Amino acid sequence: MITDTLTILRKEWLEFRDQLLRLRRGGISLIVIVLLLGVLTPLQFGPDWLSSWIVMFYFPTLASSMASALIVDAIAGERERQTLESLLASRLPDSAILFGKMLAALSYGSAFVAVNALVACLTLNIAHPDKAPLFFQARFGTLLAILTLAACLAQTGIGVFISLRSKTVRQAQQTFGIIMLVIFLAPALVFQLLPPERRFSIIATVRGWGMEQIALLAALVLGSIGISAAMFAWARFRRGKLALD
Amino acid sequence: MTGVAIRATDIAKQFGKVTALDHATFEVPRGIVFGFLGPNGAGKTTVIRTLLGLLRLDGGEGSVLGFDVATQSDSIRERTGALLEHDGLYKRLTAEQNLDFWGRVWRIPRAERRRRMETLLTRLGLWERRKDAVAEWSRGMKQKLAVARTLLHRPELVFLDEPTAGLDPVAAAALRDDLEHLASEEGVTVFLTTHNLAEAERLCARIGIINKGRVVALGTPAELRDAVGSASIIIRGPSITPAHVAMLRTRAGIVNLTLLEDGVQLVLAPNATVTPLVRALIEHGAEIEEVRRERPTLERTFLDLIADDGHAGAAT
Repeated sequence: MITDTLTILRKEWLEFRDQLLRLRRGGISLIVIVLLLGVLTPLQFGPDWLSSWIVMFYFPTLASSMASALIVDAIAGERERQTLESLLASRLPDSAILFGKMLAALSYGSAFVAVNALVACLTLNIAHPDKAPLFFQARFGTLLAILTLAACLAQTGIGVFISLRSKTVRQAQQTFGIIMLVIFLAPALVFQLLPPERRFSIIATVRGWGMEQIALLAALVLGSIGISAAMFAWARFRRGKLALD
Repeated sequence: MTGVAIRATDIAKQFGKVTALDHATFEVPRGIVFGFLGPNGAGKTTVIRTLLGLLRLDGGEGSVLGFDVATQSDSIRERTGALLEHDGLYKRLTAEQNLDFWGRVWRIPRAERRRRMETLLTRLGLWERRKDAVAEWSRGMKQKLAVARTLLHRPELVFLDEPTAGLDPVAAAALRDDLEHLASEEGVTVFLTTHNLAEAERLCARIGIINKGRVVALGTPAELRDAVGSASIIIRGPSITPAHVAMLRTRAGIVNLTLLEDGVQLVLAPNATVTPLVRALIEHGAEIEEVRRERPTLERTFLDLIADDGHAGAAT
């Protein structure tokens, strides 16, 4: 099972890498992101960047968007390119195919953020040699890693679920966009519908929390969403259903 | 190798209101090339999908290499290779990366994987292009690579859905030789669907004909020809005229008669012989140059069977 999962993971990485390298725009956009988040923004913020709440928002968002792009391509794209049936006709178990693809998306998003984080540290150490060595504090870094993984897991789980129901990558991306919009807007709308005294009490409670508590809560919510979506997807990821689709 | 590779008994599959398989029954012995013929939508691909456990049967029973298709499909897929409707190649990857991936899927050890890849790619004339992305290849080259992918792990049984489609004549002939070799020398069972009836006639030890989800004929190519089409007789002679044809029409034992440019073509009733007819033609002044028995082709047999059964298909 583990070997089979790693075989799928390796293939997905190769495919995604080749897609980016072959498409000039894809390769350039990656470099632009690294320049923005790994070089320009840290230079602008200075050493404070390494403990800024903006990092806690930027990096999980970046990682999860990379993960969602890969998972949609890995499942809806595989179906669209008509390679899924051959994969299903092989000896690979359903679980290895699904988890291999999910792991590829998770690892890709996380690895991209790790590269950005390392470039940012390098940039800051070069720009501020007097304060070197500069790096994320252990507590902050761990929290950032947990939140990043949880965000990736949420996007991957939702991505699998949507991709299994989509015939093309475009269709999956459109559905994904709508669902993300709902997920982000729904809490704000619900908040607006609450009575004023309730809203004030929530704001007061949140103000009392530190960044760590908020990040942990966000990780918990995102992780739960991801695991639930992945479980739904797992229930649906069956050869018979997929071949018939 | 002896025994049965595939056994399907009364298998049925329904897609909504469409009957894809209508109690189809057939057997495929081990170590032969078996041809599965049928018009588009007859149910050929559905049969392959159900035998691989990709679709659940609605009725009947099936076994592949002794494993039940309903409960042991993992064991079936473990031992078989399948080239289905689409080539299953990753177009962004190179030929080498594609085969390497499939080699890993089949858990072929690294050294053996390299050897096997080189052997197959060289045999199919693709070795020099192994570093190219498959997207840049012609359809024929992709089809060759897809065949290599299917045979990479030396399966006991291969399902090939129109493997020579898109191949040039040289490559198609080479592939046919390979398939023959696989069956005769390595004991691999080849389950082949094709629209090329000449190919099926030349390559297949046994043939099944499916139409509207039912297996309408099963046997060796010769058995099918004999069972369905009667042999026709060609009598060549430039002096044979419509008057001779009119005379022959009065004779017993002729089922069908056609005047050709330089002779006549007859289809005789069972037990009828051609000698009295030739004698009568000579007595009526015809000069005979050649009398030849012409067996019906597999194509004629196939068309007759499908026409008898009604042509319209039901599923893919």
